[in-house]
Amino acid sequence: MHTDAAAAPSRLAHHFPDMKTQEHAARMGMWLFLSTEILLFAVLFTAYALYRFLFPVGFEEASRLAHVAMGATNTVVLITSSLTVALAIHYARLGENRKVVGLLAVTILFGVTFMVLKGVEYHHHWVDGQLPGRMYHFAGLSGPGVSMYFALYFLMTGLHGLHVLIGMGLLSWVAFRAMRGEFGPNYSTPVELSGLYWHLIDLIWIFLFPLLYLL
Amino acid sequence: MTAATHSEGKHLGPAQYVMVWAALMVLTGVTLAVWKMEFSYAARVGIALGVALVKSALVAIFFMHLWEERGVARLVLVVSGLMVTLLIGFTLLDNATRFPYANPPYSESWKDEPWQKDAPPMQAEPPPIRTAPKSQAEHPAGHKP
Repeated sequence: MHTDAAAAPSRLAHHFPDMKTQEHAARMGMWLFLSTEILLFAVLFTAYALYRFLFPVGFEEASRLAHVAMGATNTVVLITSSLTVALAIHYARLGENRKVVGLLAVTILFGVTFMVLKGVEYHHHWVDGQLPGRMYHFAGLSGPGVSMYFALYFLMTGLHGLHVLIGMGLLSWVAFRAMRGEFGPNYSTPVELSGLYWHLIDLIWIFLFPLLYLL
Repeated sequence: MTAATHSEGKHLGPAQYVMVWAALMVLTGVTLAVWKMEFSYAARVGIALGVALVKSALVAIFFMHLWEERGVARLVLVVSGLMVTLLIGFTLLDNATRFPYANPPYSESWKDEPWQKDAPPMQAEPPPIRTAPKSQAEHPAGHKP
């Protein structure tokens, strides 16, 4: 694959024979990183499963206080943003950098929409006193497990929201590089890897939404 | 090197991505429809988790390109999922088989125990909006574990 190396001499690290191998290694590394991210969230999902098992009534009643309309809208927003990221990767591989910039800009706007809706939800819970542990003072519902639901709700959606913010930062950086026309058939690794990260955020939300809002 | 030779598998095009997106939207609709129907508890948990699993598989296989990925990278997500299942499964198995008082007070495993009668009542009338009696509302966190 000497043509590859000649086409993008600065991109190819000397210990890789060609760009294809290098990109494969990069994606492999990203998948391993994503598996540690899954571990991070898995602990919270385990805590959720455990406390839901211990306090099924408290969790069911508390989850009725979640704002389903906003949660469902956010589900649609995140899934659609995954589509725009997938399309951005597609056009990055074809070297159509202007489309990449446009699609990533739309994705970041979806991210902003998600965070704004999340903020509105948090505000409602804050005002109503639906808060974790001892801070819980909502008059409309009380009982064993109820405040535990809100502790897990804020932990899980909070950690997920942090990931959305990081993802938006990554995609902004990639969009900036696309603006300079850096990506093409030989080199699209940054778009692919930050895209993988964004898809994982979507994937985690796919589980968070039914667990926290609908059950 | 063209995009088509980028990796072993065949690349998906925009049309396929939009189809996957449409499928994800339909499945989201299914989840919400099932939620509206108020099936039994077990059925709702089962369907919600099943649909979420199918959705995440669609995202992983098509959007995350596991379809066209080579070799061991495909295995990472599957193994991660397996480990998460083991973690959750064995944790629940532990708490489900414990001596009741080894679980938190007033939890479900206390329900056949005589002390459970001291549990603070679940202050909630039928959904969706409820109000607890004022006296209870002033000290809602009193007996919380």
